Amino acid sequence: MRASILKQGNVLIASVQGSMSDADLAQMRDELVGDVRRYRSTGVIVDVTMLDVMDSFAARTLRGIAQIIKLLGATAIIVGIQPEVAFAMVQLGLTLEGIHTALDLEEGLVVLKALGTEAHER
Amino acid sequence: MAGQEKAVDTNDADRFADGVEISEQELAHRKQFLELGDADVARLTGINDLARRYADEVIDDFYRHLMSFGDTRSFFSDPQVLRHVKSMQKEYFLRLTQGKYDLDYVQDRLRIGAIHERIRLPTKSYLGMYNFYLRAVAARLVEAFEKKPGEAWATFLSLLKLTFLDMGLAIDTYIASSERTIRAQQEAIQELPTPVLPFREGMLLVPIIGIIDAQRARQLTEQLLGSIRSNRAKMVVIDITGVQSVDTRVANHIVQTVEAARLMGARVILAGISPEVAQTMVTLGIDLGRILTVGDLQSGIERAEHMLGYVVARSRAGETAVG
Repeated sequence: MRASILKQGNVLIASVQGSMSDADLAQMRDELVGDVRRYRSTGVIVDVTMLDVMDSFAARTLRGIAQIIKLLGATAIIVGIQPEVAFAMVQLGLTLEGIHTALDLEEGLVVLKALGTEAHER
Repeated sequence: MAGQEKAVDTNDADRFADGVEISEQELAHRKQFLELGDADVARLTGINDLARRYADEVIDDFYRHLMSFGDTRSFFSDPQVLRHVKSMQKEYFLRLTQGKYDLDYVQDRLRIGAIHERIRLPTKSYLGMYNFYLRAVAARLVEAFEKKPGEAWATFLSLLKLTFLDMGLAIDTYIASSERTIRAQQEAIQELPTPVLPFREGMLLVPIIGIIDAQRARQLTEQLLGSIRSNRAKMVVIDITGVQSVDTRVANHIVQTVEAARLMGARVILAGISPEVAQTMVTLGIDLGRILTVGDLQSGIERAEHMLGYVVARSRAGETAVG
């Protein structure tokens, strides 16, 4: 299943579905990168609320997305990691070091705002 | 009243059922070890008439002895209780010479042991009472078997074996009871709730007190991460002032919980690490480098408030401390 990517002002919101294959994830990454350039977005929120299992590939991909987007001059935030998923990730050593996280979409937008990316370009 | 007593007795009998379990086989084994055989049973039942004759006298002596010591006297201060206990005691002594030392006998002995344990009669007094009884009976036996000292001695030895069987059972009830207490306390400690308290909007306070074992740590993690979501918390202050010791597993678990909380967008402040715990953590090489730690709960709360942008000011009324 493909991820849906929505544009909301300067922010792109990508929703990861519950059943995404590795290929789907990689495709989402490529689309996001393209869209950030196309729309000159300043923030990206990847919502993983629907994800009930996070394997190492998914975690690595998320990490990669955040790093690439940073290189493009925007900020990425991963939101909606569920409690069980969070603890399982930590146990597997997938701590997403140095990457912004927030509770949910709403908080993610607040964090982006606080980081000044939205105000930056209006 | 009688009904009430009965209820208590059954209750006690039940209590042993989970404490001391004596099977037919175990009883046989115990008897074997004491070399308590048919000859002993015959000798003991042989003095039943004698025991009946002397019972009251021995018991009177026995309680006179008990009453002359402060620590045992306190158990029998009520004359009505004393009368009741005396009649029970008589039954108990007579039972020693009635044969049929089977499982029913064991159950009865365990019940009596439990009653003594329940009134908190110290074991030293309990065993002392056996000693007194044996000496009193020995004197009676010597008198009764004046012509046959060998027989008196053999009967006494048989009695000794049986009383040791009884004592073993009694001690078992004492031990089983204290084990039960220890178990109950352990369970109570484990069930100590670890509340996750919403302190301010977006802020949770988790005071941990007592021993954290692996199970409690896991429970704490689940509860905390769930609460972060349901309270939409951004800051969590975990206070471990009341934690005396941590091991590697628990410390790592705390570290993992903090990281997991971060993945959910919440920051954790660890407050109140005691010098001992700090030392242990360093010695064990646990890396708390990425975790924000502060000295005490107050600093933790202040730091969390600061990070959330709260400004706490004292009101005029508070300054002058006028209610």
